[in-house]
This record gives sequence, structure tokens and C-alpha cells, in this order.
Amino acid sequence: MTASTITQLAAALRDGSTTPRALLAGAIAHVDRTENDLNAYLAVTRELAEAQADAAAHTLEAHPETASPLCGIPMALKDVLCVNGVDTTAGSKILRGFKPPYTGTAVQRLFDAGAVCVGKTNCDEFAMGSSTENSAYGPVGNPWDIERVPGGSSGGSAATVAAGTVPFSLGTDTGGSIRQPAALTGVVGFKPTYGRVSRYGLIAFASSLDQIGPFTRTVEDCAMVYAAIAGHDPRDSTSDPRAVDDPLASLRAGVAGMRLGIPREYLGAGTEPGVRDAVEAAFRVLEGLGASLQEVSLPSTDVALSVYYIIAPAECSSNLARYDGVRFGVRVERPSLTEMYLQTRDAGFGNEVKRRVMLGTYALSSGYYDAYYRQAQKVRTLVSQEFDAVFKNVDAIVSPTSPSVAFPMGSRSDPLSMYMCDVVTLPANLAGTPGISVPCGFVDGLPVGLQVIAPRFEDSRVLRVAHAYEQATDFHAQLSPYATVAA
Amino acid sequence: MLARIGLSDAEKDRLLGELEAILEHIARLQQVDTSALAETAQVGDLVNVMRADVPEEPIGAAAALRNAPVSDGNYFVVGAIQGAELDG
Repeated sequence: MTASTITQLAAALRDGSTTPRALLAGAIAHVDRTENDLNAYLAVTRELAEAQADAAAHTLEAHPETASPLCGIPMALKDVLCVNGVDTTAGSKILRGFKPPYTGTAVQRLFDAGAVCVGKTNCDEFAMGSSTENSAYGPVGNPWDIERVPGGSSGGSAATVAAGTVPFSLGTDTGGSIRQPAALTGVVGFKPTYGRVSRYGLIAFASSLDQIGPFTRTVEDCAMVYAAIAGHDPRDSTSDPRAVDDPLASLRAGVAGMRLGIPREYLGAGTEPGVRDAVEAAFRVLEGLGASLQEVSLPSTDVALSVYYIIAPAECSSNLARYDGVRFGVRVERPSLTEMYLQTRDAGFGNEVKRRVMLGTYALSSGYYDAYYRQAQKVRTLVSQEFDAVFKNVDAIVSPTSPSVAFPMGSRSDPLSMYMCDVVTLPANLAGTPGISVPCGFVDGLPVGLQVIAPRFEDSRVLRVAHAYEQATDFHAQLSPYATVAA
Repeated sequence: MLARIGLSDAEKDRLLGELEAILEHIARLQQVDTSALAETAQVGDLVNVMRADVPEEPIGAAAALRNAPVSDGNYFVVGAIQGAELDG
């Protein structure tokens, strides 16, 4: 059952050819076979999973017609998502041993649907990074080439789907942390509209940008997981009360007659030639399906990176103030309270987190606030306005997801070169729009992703465009070497 | 000191160079004319979101304290504050 889709497994569960326990056993066996190389998991939650699998088996037997398509399906959760009583570290030393006293809303909705949690996945510390090399628990190998990064920050969630261990996982996307690793590992990754998926129970990084979303093998599976987790939640004050339209209803409507925009800034000088070729071929496929393509301009793309690297660190410096050795996590004992704070945070945080906390504290400090934080907030408005203007003339935007394919581990030790990974994904976070990455080719055996962005709350349109493209190509069906390791 | 991270001198030296390079890169932001732009703090259009004024079962002291590095009864335990430097 390795590398099957949700749709295939849901059918197999209903025709009696497998059981939730058998799927779980298969997933855990595949973790055991691949984990030495991949390091995609921070914890395997076997006891929880077995109880969930048994409950799912009961539901499938009692109510096979009304059971969710996710019932009995194994999945994995990025380790920034809280599960009651299950170790949740956010990839940080400072939260080693932390067991949340409650379960987050998106996760609870999956549990209510009968999904089976195989484990918590490795990620960049507090979701800060684009390669998963910033995890305090070691880097994650890309299933297409374990000497290379899987992207980040949700690298473990991407790698485990690319390795065929589970058909879906949840990640989080603050500046591209779902879409970029999806592109680099050859799977589908979707960041919904900001406010569509509750952030309750998500360990906060940058609260005005963070959004939870799925990794899957197909766009149809992605739509199913999205439909299960989306919708208003009174526990998140930024959760949007608008009704969520069923993404499966319009999934197969195609792109004939649609106007698609290609932002010229998203194919800038930093784009690798192989990525450019793959994405331009994808544009021709969309044209062949009846879409009309035109060049558009988002002039502030370049400066959006600067906006992001002020706003995200500013919000993170505030959100991470809570890690002070008092209520949770580790503590370095010192006689004075201030020294305890200082030493706990020095010992508990890794380099990238320290950089961002300091950068954010600086941008928010009296004397620099206007020049940095306030200015960034104003330019953020400009970034949104440019999207609004483009969406007057086109229905969706198509572009590369990442300027590069998966790069070798250790090759981007300079923070700025790592930040450049997010240049075409982070504008969607600043504007709150939905965005997806869908496999669109290979360069020397390494996957390339096509990004689709639509206006806010047009999540179904993003899925519809991605699905039309996917069904016309077979890149999504190609399996990484780790997905074909025999039992 | 505002960040409350007790860095070693070696860390300070390294971070200084890295942060300077990042700040230099993001300085291009200053060139954008923002005189006609309002600030965006959040992209949603929701304001003053209140929950229903209905009491809920609290999480309880035992669950709230379970993750504390040091606790005593119903309290988090920290070092003495009185007489110590407060502003670091």
C-alpha cells in the first residue's frame, strides 16, 4: 500500500482488501525501513495510532457509507501542531518533553474524521527555515536524493509523503513552508487562504502569516484534506466565519476560458534554467487545456522579501517571548530570574531562531519601529494592492514554486541565500491568498513545482487549476526511490 | 538585552556580521514611497472578535502545571525577584 493515495486507500478499506490496522502497520514498517536515511519523524505515536485505527475500523464497519474518506487513513503531523499528551517540540531543544494539554482544531478535525496519526514530523525550529536543516534534532533527507534538503520548514511532512509512508500530512506555511518543500520533494502542497484553517493549537511563529495546510500525492486528495480541516473556529479570532465551498464540487471544471497570469518578476534572474524550462512547459500544457496566458507584473516582489524579513521576525520575537523557562520547556537554573531567562533562551534556541528574535526585537524597538516595522506594514499594503490589481485581469497566477530544485545540505549557510528560497512564495502570505504547488517536471532527477495563486477565498479555484494541470501530466505519479523500497 | 538571550562573545561577533548583512539587504525598503499607504497589521477584515460570554470548563491547575520545569502545589516556581536586578 506504500505510495497509495487517500482515494485508493479509502476504496480498499471499503471493499475489504485492507484494514486501518494493516495500513498503520504498513506505514510504521515503512518508517522503520527509511527513517535512518530520512529522519522525517521526531516521534512515532504508535499507541495513539492503534487506538485511532481500531476506532476507525469500528466506524467503517458500522457506517461505511457516511464515514469520511479520511477514516482509517494513516497520516503525519508537523511537530508544531499540538496533540493532547503527545510530545510536541517544534523542532526546538527549548520544548523538549513538552506535552500539550489540548489538541489543536485542525488536528482534532482530522481525528474526528477518523484519520490515524502515525507520528510527528521533523521541521525547522519553530518553522523558521527553508531546508529543515535548522531542526535541533538533525536534518531531513530528501527522498529523491538524501544528500539534498527536502526544503522547509515542513521538510519532514513533505518527505514522508514523498517516501510513500503516508498518503497525507499536515504542514504549516508562513512564507512558503508547505509549497516550497512540496516542490522540492515532488508532492502536492497547499497553503489555504489566511483565516480558512484555524490556528488554534498551532505553535505560533508569525501569527499574521501562519497557515496550516496539507501535503498529498494528488490534488484530489489535497481537496479532501482541506475540506476536512477548513472552516470557522471560535477559538481562533482570525478564523474567518464565511462558509467554505466544497472544493470537490468544482475540482473537475477545468481551465478552459480561464485567464492565467505569469508574473514576470517570478521568473527573475535567480530562477535556475531547468526550473524555468519545466514551468514554461507547464504553461503550454495549461494553454493546451484552453486557458489564456498573459504576462502580468507584481513590481514589489523584490521588496516583499524585505517586508517579510521584518514582519515575520517582529511577530516571532513577540511570540517566542513565552519561552522563558517558567511554564513549559527546559530551564537553565540560575540564582537570578533574569540570568535564568538569558541562559535558558541561549541554551534552548538555535542559531536561526536567535537571529530572527534579535532582528525582530530590533525592528520593533523604540527608534527603529517607524523605519522598519511601520514601513514594512505599509509596503505590505502595497504588495496586497498589486495582487488585487492583477486579479482584476486574471483569474489566477501561475509561476515556479521555488527558483531552484533541492540543493545539497550545507550549501546555503549564509542566511540571506536561504531567505531567497522564499522569494516567490512569501508574497502570498503577506497578501493572505491561497497558493499550491503541484509537481511539474524534473531537472536531473530532482522535482520541480508549479505554483498556482488565486484571490483570497478562491481556494477552490487554486485546486481546480492545479487538478486540471495534474490530470494532463504524469509527474505526480512518479515515485521517489524511497517510495519503491520493497517490504 | 531586549531579546533576553544570553549570548556568548563569540556568538555576538558572528550574529553582528550576519544581522548587518540582513539589515543592509532589507534597507531597500526605505526607498519605497509609502506616503499614501496605510499599514497592514493583518489581512483579514475581522474586527473586535469576541467569544460568546459563556463560562467554559477551565483547563485546571494540574494540567497547566504539568509542563512546568519546577512547580509546587498550584504554583510555578521561579528564583527570587525581590532585590534582584529587574531590567537586566
